[in-house]
Amino acid sequence: MDSGIVSYGFQYGAYLIQVGLIILVARSSHRNRLVGVLLYLSCLLATGLGRTYALRMYGLASRQYSYVYWTTDFLLVISAFLLVCLFFRRACLQQEKMWRFVRLLLTFICVLVVSISGLLFSHHYGNLLAGFIVEFSQNLYFTCLVLNTLLYLLLQQIDSVDDQLGLLVCGVGIQFAGPAATFALVHLTANEGFAQSLNSLVNRFCTLGMILVWAYAIVHVKEKATQVTRRQIPVLAEVAAHLNIQV
Amino acid sequence: MILAALILILSTAMFFFYFQVSCQKILRRQFDREYFQSIVNANRLEFPSLRKSLEEFGAPVDYPRLRMMLKCDFLALTYLLKNAANVNQRYSSEERLLILYFRWQFLSLAVRRLLKVGEKKAVLRLTSVLQYFANVVGQRVNTVRFGNLTAADYLLNL
Repeated sequence: MDSGIVSYGFQYGAYLIQVGLIILVARSSHRNRLVGVLLYLSCLLATGLGRTYALRMYGLASRQYSYVYWTTDFLLVISAFLLVCLFFRRACLQQEKMWRFVRLLLTFICVLVVSISGLLFSHHYGNLLAGFIVEFSQNLYFTCLVLNTLLYLLLQQIDSVDDQLGLLVCGVGIQFAGPAATFALVHLTANEGFAQSLNSLVNRFCTLGMILVWAYAIVHVKEKATQVTRRQIPVLAEVAAHLNIQV
Repeated sequence: MILAALILILSTAMFFFYFQVSCQKILRRQFDREYFQSIVNANRLEFPSLRKSLEEFGAPVDYPRLRMMLKCDFLALTYLLKNAANVNQRYSSEERLLILYFRWQFLSLAVRRLLKVGEKKAVLRLTSVLQYFANVVGQRVNTVRFGNLTAADYLLNL
């Protein structure tokens, strides 16, 4: 089967599920906990639609499409970093001390990535698009993957009961790891046609994979989160009985 | 060059790791009872006996037959998932993901067979996916059969 058709199938399938998920999260009572997911999904959808529109209007080789592509790429990578930060916040909700440390670390990493990208950009001064944004996006993208893995390890370390967060983190891992691998492959094969088409296919496949995992996490695992909070009632009753208080 | 190769290896490993963990987390879902048993009996599925023989006796099995058993059970269960008591007549998000996981594990079984490493582990993973599918089908069938009826309502309607 033509890889282009498969790729478009993944793309439009992902758009449909994204719209469904955005509506579901926006209408859900847990939307405060899922604000990062909502933000990232909205950015992903806006990016996809914006790029498709620009491609149809101006063509692949046009300067306008290039502007749209790199600007949306920049926005996407920033939203990915924010998403990981929000997941860290959710993981450290009960541990303020750890959150203070994590917040400092995240700020430091952000400044470090901006500085390194700026330094590398200074060698290609004069071309903002091909220089700073590309460099910054690639660096921050891989940083997000590493941070996401650290977050996964942190969740294991603190024995988190938040199963939904665990699945959301796994989804983000799929979304970041696949494209990072194909970007490296493209770099290694010096922009071969095969690597480019594989890159496009893997990007869409991974986005679809992440959305499927998120859909499961949002639709099915929230019930478990409710059960966890409900379990507090017998504990309260037990304490009240111990203190001879009627609840 | 070395950095790109390192990123390629690490990212590929991470991709498969996250994919596997996501599927394992989905498979850990607890059902309120063992729905799969009735589906296994009704459709003469063979994966529970296969798993039992592997877990309890570690019995070496005929590989072509094992592949055939797993494949037949998979085809039967995916058909039931789509068509039995399913109003939408399509797979849900986690079912699609697990179908992909099953295919990947099936491929990995062939590779493990060639390398002669961890064959049993792959078979157990495949059977756990099949058990999940059977549980989902059983739960759906059970919901449709009883609807919103209480046990007393059901008995009165008999």
